[in-house]
Amino acid sequence: MSTPVIEVDKLNLKYGEFHAVKDLSFEVRPGELYALLGTNGAGKTSALETVEGHRQATSGTVRVFGHDPGDRKAVRPRMGIMLQESGFSPDLTVRESVNLIGQLTARQDDTGRVLDVVGLTRKAGTLVSQLSGGEKRRLDFATAVYGTPELIFLDEPTTGLDIQSRDSLWESVDRLRENGSTIVLTTHYLEEAQQRADRIGLMHQGVLRREGTVGELTRTLPSHIRFAAGPQPLPLASTERDGVTVIETFQLQKDLHVLLGWAQDHGVELRDLSAGPTSLDDVFRAIEA
Amino acid sequence: MFAIARSELIQIFRNRLVLVTSLVMPVAVSAFFIYRHEAFATIGSLGYIAAIVMFTVGAFGLYTTAVTTLASRRQNLFLKRLRSTAAGDRTILAGLLLPVTVLSVVQIGVILTVFGVVSGRPGDIPLLAAAAVATIAMMVGLALATAGLTNSPEHAQVTTLPISIGVIAIASWVGISGTEELTLLKRLLPGGAATEMVVDAWNGSASLILLAPTLAWVVVAVALAARLFRWEPRR
Repeated sequence: MSTPVIEVDKLNLKYGEFHAVKDLSFEVRPGELYALLGTNGAGKTSALETVEGHRQATSGTVRVFGHDPGDRKAVRPRMGIMLQESGFSPDLTVRESVNLIGQLTARQDDTGRVLDVVGLTRKAGTLVSQLSGGEKRRLDFATAVYGTPELIFLDEPTTGLDIQSRDSLWESVDRLRENGSTIVLTTHYLEEAQQRADRIGLMHQGVLRREGTVGELTRTLPSHIRFAAGPQPLPLASTERDGVTVIETFQLQKDLHVLLGWAQDHGVELRDLSAGPTSLDDVFRAIEA
Repeated sequence: MFAIARSELIQIFRNRLVLVTSLVMPVAVSAFFIYRHEAFATIGSLGYIAAIVMFTVGAFGLYTTAVTTLASRRQNLFLKRLRSTAAGDRTILAGLLLPVTVLSVVQIGVILTVFGVVSGRPGDIPLLAAAAVATIAMMVGLALATAGLTNSPEHAQVTTLPISIGVIAIASWVGISGTEELTLLKRLLPGGAATEMVVDAWNGSASLILLAPTLAWVVVAVALAARLFRWEPRR
C-alpha cells in the first residue's frame, strides 16, 4: 500500500480546561476522498486546522506528505485550503484576490482559468465586498484549487451555495480527483458525504467514534422497511410511529420478500412503501444516543 | 513579500479613510508647522519643528495606520488566509507593513527637504537620517505590539492613543525644554532621545550615542510584539 498523504497519531488538543480533541488517529491515502464528520462541537474543525498547520497539537503527531504541517515551505505548495469562513480583503477585486493567494501558494496556474472553473469570470473585476455569500465561497474554492494541488481541504465547501453552484463545485472536485488529487472534506450535508466519500470518520465530543466506508458504517445499523400503518397482523416484528409502520431488519432482501408475499396472499395494499439501507443520518443519531 | 505589499498598496489607495489618516493628515499638519516655522522656532528651534514633523508622520501616518490595518486584516480573517499559503509569518508581516512604512519614509524625506529649502540646510544630514530610521523602526515595532491588544479597526482608535499622543507629547517636551534638566528621564522615554538627536542634528551636530535608547525601544517593542501579536480573532 502507498504511503498515506496524512498521518494523525494520538492527536490531542486542549484549550485551557477544554479537551477539544482526544487521542485522534487516522490516515488519509493518496487519491482518497476522506470525510471528517461530526456533531456540532465535535472537534472536527480543531482537528482539521491542526492538520492544515493552523494550530499546534497539545500532544500527538501529525504528518502531511511526511512533513510537519507547520513547515509551510515544504507542505503548502502541495496543498490547497478552503477555509470554513472566507478571509478576503473587501477592497480587492476577485481577480486580485485569486492572483495574490495563487502567487503565495507557489503553484503555477492561470487566474482566468481558475475563475472560469468556479464560474466567477464575469465577476473578475468586482470588489470582494460586493460579492454574495455563495460567490465568496466560490472565490474561496478558487484559491484552494489554484494550480491543482495534490491535497485539498474543503471545510464546509457547499454551505450557502445554491443547487447549481453546488453541483458545479462537485463536478470540479470530480475532475480534480481524476487528476489524482486527495480530498479531505467536512460538511453538514451528510448526503454529500454519503455519495462521494471513500471513507468517513465520525467524531463526537472530541473522539473518533466510527471510521470506514459508507457501507461499513451503515451496515452496523439495521435497514428499514416503511409503509402507512393499517394492515394487521403482520408476519414480521414492527413498530408504529406517527402513522408509519417500521420494520427494522439486518436481512432486507429476505424480510422484504416475506412481507411482499404476505401482502400478495392477503390482497393487502402497502401504501407509501419504501425500503432501504440505513442512511448516515441514522448512524449520526445512533452516535448521539 | 512584494505580492502582499502590492495588494496592500492597492488597498490603501482604495480605502479613502486610511488614505486621509495616513497621508493627508500628517502632511497637512507638517505644512502648517513649516508655514509658521518662524513662530515655532521662537518656542523651540528649527530642529524642534523637524522633530515634530517626524513624529507626526511616525505616530499618525505610520503607527496608527499600521495598527488599524493589522487589526482589520485579522478581524476579516485575511491574516489567516495569508497563513494558509506557503508564505512564512515574517514575510506576511513584512509585506503588510512595507507600503505604509515606505510611504512614511517618503513623506518624512519630502517634508524635511521642503523644510530645509524654506528654512536653510540642516547641520548633519546623515545623523538626521539615522535618527529618522531608528524612529520609524521603533514605531513599526510598537505598532506590532499594539496590534496584539487591538480587536478591531474601531478599537484601534482607542488603543493607539496612548502611544501616538504620548510620543508627540514627549517630542514637544524634549524639543521645547531641551535635555539639560531631567536628562536621563527625557532620554529614556520613547522618542525622547530621538527628538534630542533630530533637534541637535538639524541645528548643528548630534551625538551618535543618542541612537541607543531608541534602538533599545525597538528591541522592547519587538519582544512585546512576539508575546502579544495574534493571527486570529479571539473567539
